[in-house]
Amino acid sequence: MKIVNVDNKNFEQEVLQSTVPVLMDVWAPWCGPCRMLGPLVDQVAEENDNFKVVKVNADEAGDLAQKLNVVSIPALICFKSGAETKRSIGLISKAEILKLVEA
Amino acid sequence: MEKRYDIAIIGSGPAGLSTAINAKVRKKEIILFGSEDISSKIAKAHGINNYLGMYGKSGEEMASAFRHHIDEMEIRITPEKVTNIMPVDDYYAILTKNGMYYEAASVILASGISFGKAIPGEKEFLGKGVSYCATCDAMFYRGKVATVIGYNKSEEEEADFLTQVAEKVYYIPMYTDEVNVNEKVEVIQDKVLEIRGDQKVTELVLRNHVLTTDGVFILRESVAADSLIPGLEIEDNHVKVDRLMKTNLNGCFAAGDIVGKPYQYSKAAGEGNIAALSAVSYLDARRRAVV
Ligand SMILES: Cc1cc2nc3c(=O)[nH]c(=O)nc-3n(C[C@H](O)[C@H](O)[C@H](O)COP(=O)(O)OP(=O)(O)OC[C@H]3O[C@@H](n4cnc5c(N)ncnc54)[C@H](O)[C@@H]3O)c2cc1C
Repeated sequence: MKIVNVDNKNFEQEVLQSTVPVLMDVWAPWCGPCRMLGPLVDQVAEENDNFKVVKVNADEAGDLAQKLNVVSIPALICFKSGAETKRSIGLISKAEILKLVEA
Repeated sequence: MEKRYDIAIIGSGPAGLSTAINAKVRKKEIILFGSEDISSKIAKAHGINNYLGMYGKSGEEMASAFRHHIDEMEIRITPEKVTNIMPVDDYYAILTKNGMYYEAASVILASGISFGKAIPGEKEFLGKGVSYCATCDAMFYRGKVATVIGYNKSEEEEADFLTQVAEKVYYIPMYTDEVNVNEKVEVIQDKVLEIRGDQKVTELVLRNHVLTTDGVFILRESVAADSLIPGLEIEDNHVKVDRLMKTNLNGCFAAGDIVGKPYQYSKAAGEGNIAALSAVSYLDARRRAVV
C-alpha cells in the first residue's frame, strides 16, 4: 500500500478516521536507527494491504510528535478505529513489526 | 550499492581477533570493529599465566603480541563503536556511533560481557523519557530539562550537544576521570538509584539529590547484545549459542565472554576459532545453494 506522510493537518483524516488499522513510523533525518528501520517499514507496507502505513517526520511535524507524546525515535505506533493500540520504541526486526500490527 | 563484507566481527578482544585470523585464513572478506588498543581487559591484566605460550607475560605484552599477529596478517581494526545491527533478508546492516553504515553477510558478536544492570525504572520508562540516543532524541527536549548519565568520558560531548536545545542539562559521570563539559551543563557527582515518573519520567533519584527532569539519557559504553540486534535470544544474561557458536539468528554467531562463563582468554580465543569456521561453513553452504 502507498505510504502517506502525516502531520498535524492530515492526522485526523489519515489516521484517526482511517477505516483500516494504521502503522505509524515516527522518524527524523539525523536519527541513525530511524534510517535503518525506515526501509523495513517500507517493505512491510509494500507487502501488506490489510493496514495502512504512515510516516511522521518529527523534524517537520514536531507539534504532532509532541501531541502523541513521542520523546524517543524511532517510534512505531499502531492505531485501530481512531485509538492507539500499541507502541514500540527503538529498532525492531521486520518480524517484530508485523507482530506489532497484527496483535 | 554498499560493499557487502562476508563477515563483520564486533569486538577486538581475544574472541574477535581469533575470529578475524581464522576468517582471514579462509580468505573471507572481513570487517573488524573494536578499539585500537585491542581490549581494555587485556591491557589491565598484570600477569597472565594461563594462556598457552604467554607464560609470565603482562597484559600489555599480550596485547602487543596480538597486535603483531594481526598486523602481520594485514588485519585492520575499524575503530568504531557499533550501535545497531539489523537482520535484513539475507544480510546484516550495521550502524556505528558516528553514523557510518556497513553491510555483511554474517555477523560474529565478540564484544565481551555487556550486560550492565538496568537502573530501576529504566525499562519501564523507555520511550517515555528514558533514551539511549542523544542525537536521535535531543529535539524532544527543547525548553526542557534533560539529565545525562554518562558511563564513559566520550559521552560528555552528548551533554554539550543537548545544551543547544534543552533548557537545563545535568550530567552524572559514572567514572572517575575529570569531567570537561561546557558551562551550561551542571555536573553532579552522585550515585544513581532510581528513575521515577507516572506517564512519563519526572524525576531521577540519586543518593543525595532528587533531580526534577523531563528525560534521562543513559549512555553506556557497551550496548546490551539484545538491544544491539533485535530478536537475539538471551539466556541467563548471555547470548544463547550452541556448540558451533550459532545464535538463534541465521548467520549470526557469538564468542567470548558474551556467551558465558568462564571468562578466560583461552576460552574466548577458542570460541572465536569455532565461530569463524561456523560462519565460513554458513557462507559456503549459502553460496552452493545459490549456484
Ligand atoms: C583485570 C583482568 C585480568 C584478567 N586476567 C585474566 C587472566 O589472567 N587469564 C584469563 O584467562 N582471563 C583473564 N581475564 C578475563 C579476560 O580478560 C576475558 O575473559 C577476555 O578478555 C574475554 O575476551 P572477549 O574477546 O570475549 O572480550 P573483551 O576482551 O572484553 O573484548 C571485547 C572487545 O569488544 C569491543 N567492543 C565492545 N562493544 C563494542 C561495540 N558495540 N562496537 C565495537 N566494539 C565493541 C571492546 O572495545 C573490546 O575491544 C581478566 C580480566 C580482567 C578484567
